[in-house]
Amino acid sequence: MIELAVELPLSRFPLRVSTSLGAGVTGVLGPSGSGKTSLLEVLAGLRPAARGRIVVGGEVWLDSGAGVRRAPERRRVGYVPQAAGLFPHLRVGENVAFGARGDARRVETAIATLGLGELLERYPARLSGGERQRVALARALASDPALLLLDEPLASLDASLRERILPYLLRVRDDWRVPMLYVTHNVGEALLLADHALLLRDGAVEAAGRPLDLLSSPGLAQAAEAGIENLFRGAVASHDAEAGLTHVVVQGGLPVSVPIAPGLALGAPVTLAVRAEDVLLAVEPLTGLSARNVYAGTVVAEERTGTDLTLRLETTQARATWLARLTPGAVKALALRPGVPVWIAVKSHSFRLLV
Amino acid sequence: MTSEELRVVAFTLKVAALGTLLLVPPGLLAALLLARYRGPGKGVLETLLALPLVLPPTAVGLVLLEVLSRRTTFGAWLAVRGWDIVFTWRGVLVATMLMSFPLLVRSARTAFEEVDPHLVGLARTLGCSPLAAFFRVTLPLAWRGVLAGVALAFSRALGEFGATIMVAGNIPGKTQTLALAIFHESQLGRDDRAMVLAGVTVALAFACLWTTEWLTRARDRRLAS
Repeated sequence: MIELAVELPLSRFPLRVSTSLGAGVTGVLGPSGSGKTSLLEVLAGLRPAARGRIVVGGEVWLDSGAGVRRAPERRRVGYVPQAAGLFPHLRVGENVAFGARGDARRVETAIATLGLGELLERYPARLSGGERQRVALARALASDPALLLLDEPLASLDASLRERILPYLLRVRDDWRVPMLYVTHNVGEALLLADHALLLRDGAVEAAGRPLDLLSSPGLAQAAEAGIENLFRGAVASHDAEAGLTHVVVQGGLPVSVPIAPGLALGAPVTLAVRAEDVLLAVEPLTGLSARNVYAGTVVAEERTGTDLTLRLETTQARATWLARLTPGAVKALALRPGVPVWIAVKSHSFRLLV
Repeated sequence: MTSEELRVVAFTLKVAALGTLLLVPPGLLAALLLARYRGPGKGVLETLLALPLVLPPTAVGLVLLEVLSRRTTFGAWLAVRGWDIVFTWRGVLVATMLMSFPLLVRSARTAFEEVDPHLVGLARTLGCSPLAAFFRVTLPLAWRGVLAGVALAFSRALGEFGATIMVAGNIPGKTQTLALAIFHESQLGRDDRAMVLAGVTVALAFACLWTTEWLTRARDRRLAS
């Protein structure tokens, strides 16, 4: 449990955040320059000008009224800045072990979780962007943090690398169970990873709640620079070489067909991503369509995202939530509104498979 | 070389090494403060520190002589404790240290300024006290500049003349360093002896600077591998 009521002067506006966060993952969304990084630095104790109160798991980290200001080294935060911040003079293994206080078992587990076994002897200068992020994450985990602070760990990576890191993040979330603040521009990431989300604008919390509920916030369009994605966790069910498809069952039991990926073992966990604008809707049953994924469902909610509308849908089978981004014209023509039954169609090639 | 000349070389090396060693802690502290401190008085402080670089060494020596002589309270206090500085080997030490200090500080300060403060902050979140973060992150990253500063300070100490002769005089067997001995021999018309000593100083300075270069390059090779 994290209780926050902090204030920090920034150049354009003050950062002023009062909120309480549960265990699990909190997504921090917001446009560039809205104070997201500053908020993480305040929590890490790296902003001496911060005032207010921070209580994490019953421990008071900051109480400027009472003169309490716990030094960064006594807060046990695992901070992963956007640029990874690896120590260039240390090898990967030494970087990971930097904050571990000699706990070799923890270091080994962190190395295994992030798949760094091959890289231990390398210096950071010889790592790719994705490898750096993984090392930084392992270093944070190995220091036995009470709170993980991740600052857009995927933002500086191109799409294919991003997709290769995401599964590691899921593993960290599910296996290590450390409370996490996860700053991102990507609404899909927040939906996939976070139980709770904050939307920051000009240093203030504009909205807070379940990530799905934030979709109705007017400020979200600005924050969602990378677009809105549907992300699903699932497992490989079968391969059909003749049809060129791999069948995946995602959470809740919804079957999804994607272009064949024969390298994946049956039962292997995968993450599927499909952009909200690639989801087609119809108000009549679909026949003679090439799309391999067609589901009956219902419109649950309609929210404005910039000039478009984002519809929240629920499939009848498995009650899976989907987001579809349509122009207001399309929504009007089909008379889509909450409660209307729809057919959802997605080409198998619109899915990207994140292993 | 004669045994007398060898003694001069050994004395010079010993004083320069001791002086450099004693300079490192305050020099690095001053460099770190100058690199991180952003506030009023910084400009004045930097200028004061740079002064020995541009003043005639004899002027610095003269000021030092006045401050340390037995006529001042401080000088008398030192003398009572048997720590005579003026015209002793300690005078050589103090004079060379003062002249070397700015070289060490300037070089180390630039090196510290180039260390990304975010990395230091990260080290703190990973459990380092400010002191531990200095030794585990700042110093290893600024290593090249610090070493260059130490080498410059040591080389400067080997060759210091003006301030030394003012504070310590030129007493053979007592305060005579290589630089003083070269002057001394040349004044006496023994140019061949002066040339031998000059050759020794060239060799020492070369060895010192070359070792620094070599160490720095070895490290660059390692980091790029």
